[in-house]
Amino acid sequence: MIMIAYYVITAFLLILAAWNFILEKERRQDLVLYVLVMIPLILRLLRWK
Amino acid sequence: MKKDIPFRSVLVAVLLGLVLWGGLPLYRHRHCGVPIIKGPGVTDVRKLSEYSPGLAGTMADSAVYVLEGREPGGKALLMGNTHSNEPEGMLSALIVIENGVVEKGTLYVIPFFNASGSRNTRAGDGYPLYFDVTTDWGARRFRYGNRDASPLDQWPDPDVYIHYPDRQLLSYIDVRNTNRTWPGRADGPLMERVTFGAMELMRKEGIDVAVDVHGAETMFPVTNCIVAPEKSVRIATLASLTVKAMEGFDNHVETSPAGFRGLSHREIGDHSGTMPFLLEAPIPFLDQPTGPKTVKFLLDGKDPFLLSLSKKKKLFVPYDEGGWPLEKRVGQNLSVTLEIFRQFTKKTAARPIVVRGVPRYADVVKAGVGHFLADPSKAAPGAVVVN
Repeated sequence: MIMIAYYVITAFLLILAAWNFILEKERRQDLVLYVLVMIPLILRLLRWK
Repeated sequence: MKKDIPFRSVLVAVLLGLVLWGGLPLYRHRHCGVPIIKGPGVTDVRKLSEYSPGLAGTMADSAVYVLEGREPGGKALLMGNTHSNEPEGMLSALIVIENGVVEKGTLYVIPFFNASGSRNTRAGDGYPLYFDVTTDWGARRFRYGNRDASPLDQWPDPDVYIHYPDRQLLSYIDVRNTNRTWPGRADGPLMERVTFGAMELMRKEGIDVAVDVHGAETMFPVTNCIVAPEKSVRIATLASLTVKAMEGFDNHVETSPAGFRGLSHREIGDHSGTMPFLLEAPIPFLDQPTGPKTVKFLLDGKDPFLLSLSKKKKLFVPYDEGGWPLEKRVGQNLSVTLEIFRQFTKKTAARPIVVRGVPRYADVVKAGVGHFLADPSKAAPGAVVVN
């Protein structure tokens, strides 16, 4: 049950990062950082890592 | 905003590329099957979930090979890959499964005890994902795993692992370590369900002797030894003395500490009638101050930094240009295991455990580990079990 909750949290954080990636208008370095943040979240949701 | 679209597109492409480049090899490793051939002595193959239903359908469930003897006698359990980055345990178990024939008694063998750990890796330490053992007919490939179970199977880790039932505070990571979660419980975290399965097997089948095969760093004091609690120490000592006298290699005895909970050599004895033994063979690959963690180093155990440290007397085992090759590590595990069975049989004549067909130290050192591994492509139909 707690594992499912952590996957929900992961999905929420991924959506948050992706949403910020879409909304960011000025700083390119922030776009890069959002991409870096998303990598482990995607890998965990895919159950690859 | 509009001018950033090409830059964003490149970033998304890089993101997808990194996910595929980094993730796919891990996915393939996790789902790579290792075939094991049922040898002439295997009479049944079960799942650990038959003893711990909470494992059914999970990556932590594992095959239990049963080698029932022609005559009744004592019963023994042999476990490899409790720590999946110590492959000499798994290979020792494999050689027993593929070559051993039990004359008296029954032998239960679990080659991938922490099956989830065998599908995990330690990327930060540069662990290889696979290693190949050269055989007489080619190479046989195995997954190289990690000490702990995969977080994909048991997540999240607690801040502190509170051991069951003693409530001793252990490191958070030990909640995924199947040599800290003994004796386990039916509805605990997944790794507790693994150890609970083995405990139930031992209690229900009336196992007399349990051997848990490991590897340990050359810089760690508890290495090249048999760890045994009070109830097993006499047999461990006799086995240690006999292999030293008859086969010429050292394997001293360490007493299992009563105050350190969760370990197989402590909890099995305290929670069942079984006599536990934990074997540690030196595996230089696990030491920290070494060169790159290559497959060659994993197999031959040769490292110039450890050689330098050996000359400064910083290691707990003899170490020279020959390293600590896989053959020595697997060979001594097999000899010590067979010797424990022999000493148990001498002590408890009414419950003999007699196994033939399993090579001893000198045989493995001379012919190599691969010589005793069968070719899955030439196995009879139905004789291959994918783990």
